[in-house]
Amino acid sequence: MPAKYHIHTAQAANRFQLITRSGVIAWEEGCLKCPSCVKKACVYKVYEKRGIDSRQMLESLDSVCKDCFRCVQGCPKQLIQKGFNPSYKALGDHYWTPEIISGLWYQAEAGRIPVSGGGYGGAFSGPGFDAMWTDMSEIVRPTRDGIHGREYISTTTDIGRKLMALEFDETGALSVTPPPVVEIPLPLLLDMLPWSPPGMGIKLAILEGAKSLGTFAIIRQSDFTPAMKEYLSNIALYIDGQVSDIEPSVLSALRLIELPYSKEVIAAQNTLKITNSGLVTIIRMDLSPDSAEEVVRLTKEGAEAIHLVADEYGLEKSDRPLFIKERTRDIHLRLVEAGVRDQITLISGGGIAMAEHVAKQIICGSDLLSVDIPLLIAMECRVCRRCKEGIACPVELEGVDPVWGASRIRNLMAGWHNQLLEILGAMGIREVKRLRGEMGRAMFFEDLEKDIFATLGRRG
Amino acid sequence: MDQKNAGLNISIFFCQQIDPNQDVNRRALERELGNRIRFFPLPCSGRIDSLHLMRALESGADKVYVITCPEGACHYREGNMRARKRVAYTQGLIEEIGLEGERLELIMAPAGLPVNIDELARDLLSSEATTGPSPVRGKTA
Repeated sequence: MPAKYHIHTAQAANRFQLITRSGVIAWEEGCLKCPSCVKKACVYKVYEKRGIDSRQMLESLDSVCKDCFRCVQGCPKQLIQKGFNPSYKALGDHYWTPEIISGLWYQAEAGRIPVSGGGYGGAFSGPGFDAMWTDMSEIVRPTRDGIHGREYISTTTDIGRKLMALEFDETGALSVTPPPVVEIPLPLLLDMLPWSPPGMGIKLAILEGAKSLGTFAIIRQSDFTPAMKEYLSNIALYIDGQVSDIEPSVLSALRLIELPYSKEVIAAQNTLKITNSGLVTIIRMDLSPDSAEEVVRLTKEGAEAIHLVADEYGLEKSDRPLFIKERTRDIHLRLVEAGVRDQITLISGGGIAMAEHVAKQIICGSDLLSVDIPLLIAMECRVCRRCKEGIACPVELEGVDPVWGASRIRNLMAGWHNQLLEILGAMGIREVKRLRGEMGRAMFFEDLEKDIFATLGRRG
Repeated sequence: MDQKNAGLNISIFFCQQIDPNQDVNRRALERELGNRIRFFPLPCSGRIDSLHLMRALESGADKVYVITCPEGACHYREGNMRARKRVAYTQGLIEEIGLEGERLELIMAPAGLPVNIDELARDLLSSEATTGPSPVRGKTA
């Protein structure tokens, strides 16, 4: 049995004060100067440790406070209040919600799964991934057995084309050459960012993160610098220029390359194979209503892996866009219908914001996923998109230390990996490859609604 | 000359309750003036402390504004009143060390009108510059 994959985590402190859900509003005027002040009695020493970050004028008070409300209840003059922080509510947008962002910050800092402790208090169902529930029938036993290594659950995924059968000649020797396959220990690739402040720090942090996780970071050919050569075994190079511009030594060392979709992409793939036969090529295409048809065609023509990319909200390119999980289900089922599903590796990305999205998207038919914005959030990004508008980043991401950034990415991915193990354990599945396309092990709100209520509208 | 053209560094502390869209509204000025303008949203203006105002001056601000809710409209009942007292107190403190008291100013947002932080800040920037660059600027790290 191979060694268990384990991601080493270590606390990676925030550089800036967190934007917290609530804040302390304490009046000083009217203080009775009690000898036993509730502020001194704080068990978390919130008031004693009080400090101010003059870059943003944010106090440490709120990030240290654990919302126990002892001081609020104890002050005889009721001078201390706790209120919702409007800055928290303003974080991100309708998709990248403050709850998602703060959850990712926590995981990146601590490397642990966020536990709310109060049970799930959210809505029964919602749009996108919230309209899907996974089977938890095996939850009767400790679901953390996987995380703690008492149960062996594999999250290894292969990228590449698969043979459907082996063929042998008259002498009994193998007559077909198996196509190259790249194996990664977790079903996640670190993708190019849709927007980010300039600077090499972010890119190097992602590369260093990919290296320590044993996976790949997708890097644009135009962004590739000689300083990145030490990461070649963890780079999937996205070709946004001429293949002839790539140094031969770089091309021969690469294991993954990503080609933008075009009508001649299979010919381009075959040309690359002449130079480096061990290379696995991924075809990157925007997710759209035509994706299913194109994916089936490319698979039949010999594509090895296809990376389908939705926008940052998980929507395909269309006037009436479908969400990524719906379109992936469609593509997966079309490939199954055509009898070619197992030949191709499907990678999907865009709108992957939480660990549960990884498992849900795999259930919908992806072999693995690409992550983008969460990598930035791991480095304290507030999803304000000021960088996109040419305004200075409020958390100075352009000058980020790659070592610190990599440790935050590693922590976040460790959190996601553990949650994936937890879901797999709860579903009684011991291998992430077995989860792919297991739609029978999930419930979809739209399907249930149709099943239950569709007949009610019928007359006669 | 108005404050914008005088090349002054301006810091604005403001109560977020006055403009729920402040994060979007303030971006045009951030883009236009870069580091010369710094916005510090507060959950309530009563959260302001002398320390915040002194730190802002210390880190290179020539003029610091505190914008509060209109009188009687504080979400926390009396935060704006307390902010007024703290600004007055800090003005006394900075005068003691030889800085002009008008480097700190408290502004109450107009009552009864929807407030846009961008418009409010532009009004402030277009007012006559009564002070020049702060002598503190450049002397601290």
